Amino acid sequence: MDIEISRRKFLQGTVALTIIGSTATTTSLFSKDKQGELKLTTKTGDKVDRLVPTLCEMCVNKCAAIARVEDGIVTKLDPNPYFPKSRNMLCARGNAGIQALYDPDRLKFPMIRVGEKGEGKFKRVTWDEAYEYIKEKTIKILDEEEDNRSSFLFCAGEGMAEHTFKTFYQAFGSSNWLNHSSICLQTVASAYGLTLGAYPQSDFENARYIILAGANRAEAIVTPDTMDLFKNVKSNKNGAKLICIDPRFTNTAAKSDKWLPIKPGTDLAFVLALTYVVITEDLYNKEYVENNFNGFEEYKASILDNKYTPEWAEEITGISAKDIYTIAREFMQYAPKSIYYPGRRSTFAKNDFQLRRAMAIFQGLGGGIDCEGGLVFGSTLKIKGHDEVSPMYDNAASRAVIKKLQAKSGEAGYQDCAIVSGGGSWISWRNNFLDDKQPYKVRGMFCYKHNPVMNMPNSAKTIEMLKKMEFLVCIDTMPSDTVMYADVVLPECTYLERTDPIKTFGGTEPSIAVRNKVIDPMFESKPIMEILHGLTKKISKPLFDISKKHDMEVQSLLEESSEEELYAEFDITIPFKHSQEECNAHAVSDYPDAKEKLEKHGVYYPNMDAYFKQLSANEFEYYPKNKRSYRVNEGRPKTPSNKVECKIDTLSKNGVDSMPIWKDEYNYQTSSDKFRLLTGRHAQYTQSGSTNNSMLNDLMRENFIWINKKVATQKGINFGDMIEVSSKIGKTRLKAYPTEKIAPDQLFFIHGFGQESSALTWAYKNGGNDNAVIEDTMEPVYGAAAMHETDVEIKKV
Amino acid sequence: MARYGMALDYKNCINCKACETACKEENGVLLGADKHRIWVGVKEVEGEYPHLSIASQTFYPSQCQHCEDAPCQDVCPTNATYYGENGDVKVDPDKCILCSYCMNACPYDARYVDDRTMTVDKCTFCTDTRIARGETTTACQNTCPTKVRIFGDLDDPNSEISQVLRQREHFTLKAHLGTKPKLFYLV
Repeated sequence: MDIEISRRKFLQGTVALTIIGSTATTTSLFSKDKQGELKLTTKTGDKVDRLVPTLCEMCVNKCAAIARVEDGIVTKLDPNPYFPKSRNMLCARGNAGIQALYDPDRLKFPMIRVGEKGEGKFKRVTWDEAYEYIKEKTIKILDEEEDNRSSFLFCAGEGMAEHTFKTFYQAFGSSNWLNHSSICLQTVASAYGLTLGAYPQSDFENARYIILAGANRAEAIVTPDTMDLFKNVKSNKNGAKLICIDPRFTNTAAKSDKWLPIKPGTDLAFVLALTYVVITEDLYNKEYVENNFNGFEEYKASILDNKYTPEWAEEITGISAKDIYTIAREFMQYAPKSIYYPGRRSTFAKNDFQLRRAMAIFQGLGGGIDCEGGLVFGSTLKIKGHDEVSPMYDNAASRAVIKKLQAKSGEAGYQDCAIVSGGGSWISWRNNFLDDKQPYKVRGMFCYKHNPVMNMPNSAKTIEMLKKMEFLVCIDTMPSDTVMYADVVLPECTYLERTDPIKTFGGTEPSIAVRNKVIDPMFESKPIMEILHGLTKKISKPLFDISKKHDMEVQSLLEESSEEELYAEFDITIPFKHSQEECNAHAVSDYPDAKEKLEKHGVYYPNMDAYFKQLSANEFEYYPKNKRSYRVNEGRPKTPSNKVECKIDTLSKNGVDSMPIWKDEYNYQTSSDKFRLLTGRHAQYTQSGSTNNSMLNDLMRENFIWINKKVATQKGINFGDMIEVSSKIGKTRLKAYPTEKIAPDQLFFIHGFGQESSALTWAYKNGGNDNAVIEDTMEPVYGAAAMHETDVEIKKV
Repeated sequence: MARYGMALDYKNCINCKACETACKEENGVLLGADKHRIWVGVKEVEGEYPHLSIASQTFYPSQCQHCEDAPCQDVCPTNATYYGENGDVKVDPDKCILCSYCMNACPYDARYVDDRTMTVDKCTFCTDTRIARGETTTACQNTCPTKVRIFGDLDDPNSEISQVLRQREHFTLKAHLGTKPKLFYLV
């Protein structure tokens, strides 16, 4: 049985969705008809109220859309051709934004918890009652903690308004900030930052040879990478050669010229062996290395002394030495128009930071940096920031991390990692909080558009953490698993109901784009700016009074100046006083025609009128080729030295290898009765954020666990059988998909399913939750979650 | 008067299903996986791990072929299925009696039952939505990330589709049946 081919017939046998369409009318799309069926699609008509350019928020890419509004209802989202980044396209999720807007399960009113934590029992309250309740609880905790602002944790998911919420965190004065970075891009972004001076983009449009390792661009869509890449491979006779390195046969593998299944977590050995070949065979760009490398001789010596030969790597990676020789030679033959794709993904293996360093250095050996067809830094159009306040709170403790007592030079200074980044290590923070190891009590938490129960390894521990947290405020659009544990729920409107902070998008074709409000917020939901405006108005002065009571610095300042004068510095309402539209107009006020263009097209860049061209009914040019920013730094890296940093001595002071090397502990092995669990993304779902979307659910009902066909046969497992997956930390259940696309000792399923919030019609208990079984393993540099380090068992149930 | 057809640069297809979704949103198609006007046909990869044939795994975006000699039109007892003025194959829901002959006759499995009207429904090339409003692209074509589809008038020698069909090799599905499909797969 194959999922895709027989999708029609296969789904006929499962529970049919109780959904019916309707034509565009003014009746509420939330209402159920007499059969209790939800009305979820509308046919577009010829009477349009307005077409509003906006930006998608179904994933992190922020592609440009045009919303069609008929009779006050959003009936269609079309791609907006003006945005260079999204190249006139909207993916399945982008189209399904309508179902996010009209999701019947949306949070509609402010609520206060009345049941037990996690039970999902709330009472509806007014906004003022919610703010009042937050004020009482917050003031009580801060009073008892003597104005230690860090007794509150702030966390936020990625998004255009993340910064608005962060402004609140800064004004509040806490040091505990956690965002998605340690479960996302932390290691890759930092490794490229340190090695090449920036996390670069890839010029897939002009590259001739591309290595995608552990980056599944057909299913984990990144714009413009996905479009540029797949238009430049199979159908293009003069296009690039694509090498796909992935333990699984993905849709990206299906578009490649060569697919090499690698043993999980061993990519570093593969890159070191490629490096060995180009050094020993003298294939690297000597002039480039001479002028633009620091520490090359030491790195070369390390590679040679350690004998990172293709034969050595074959044993570790499972990729043949012959293939490694060929790829190394071909890469250099096409260089500098060769790309070893940096990737954009979570950390999978403990050695991820060193892997990314090795990849960046290897790229440099071909000279494909800051050039057409290689890795590019691009340019960025400057916009102005908005008001922020950061009052000085003397009693606010520093971040609740555990420093290692008596750490020697050359050792990590922290218990769980070598370096603490701005976004923090989520797992480390959570586990130390649970184990009462933090240097002071953290008792309250503000959580914005973030779902820690679903989004990081070991869901059970996150639930324990949320239960232990004395006071939790969640600002969200959906009743997520995390929202179920909130004391106060504040409903944010969806992205189609709000204008967000304007954003500048760097790249070879830079632009500024804006998310314009399409329709007014429904129910009592509000944009984050207005929520924080209301909340800070309520709590700003009482918070200052707590500082007055406990903060000696404030007390002494009050002897010199009036309370009114001093409060002006502590007034945290300031950043939220202006409307988002006003802030946005200010942000682009240096560009005379930007405001008008952004209203009309949703996109702006200088000389847009002259540069923007329609090439065909469906394709556009944004910048003429000679105006694109392929080269912005004379072909050099952007490090302070303008050189590729092979050896970074400051790293070794913190217990991190100064150069990428292989260690035996990185070797891949699983015991004979166990499987290595792999997780990943999918083109129709964005993690746990869209699994309740009825349109997307229509495309794929649930996640399936990939099991190698032979293994499935041995175990008597057939397609659709229910499988229980268990690890040291927990269990989950989902249906089997026996396939040849995965190794016998590995299993895979897509992240984001198996949610436990009963308020989610489609996502509730649908499929399996990977984070119920993935152990909370951290990589050693930043404490980022290493997601492919868990072995599991399976049984048919 | 035109003769509508579509060329598909199908090797660009990554099976992301943006087209299916856009079609449903644009045309108010019922949810439910067996209720779709367009789809991506997937041929599962052949071979045994790790020796898999990359070439064997293909994605064929598909929909009604708007055949010039459409079997569905031949068998329809009430003339509910008819040729539109632009050569597109249409269904008149007022005439359809849901005998389902057309569904059986279609070699491409391109028709399904709309549970609201209890009639047969299929791809319209967006002629009653986008194209009727004067737009030049279909919903599936417009939204596609890798720009697989080219829609246009086969009778206009200067149209993009006519030009591309002159320049590039292409094939049609089940050509031996003599249905003269107007979906062209570019090689």
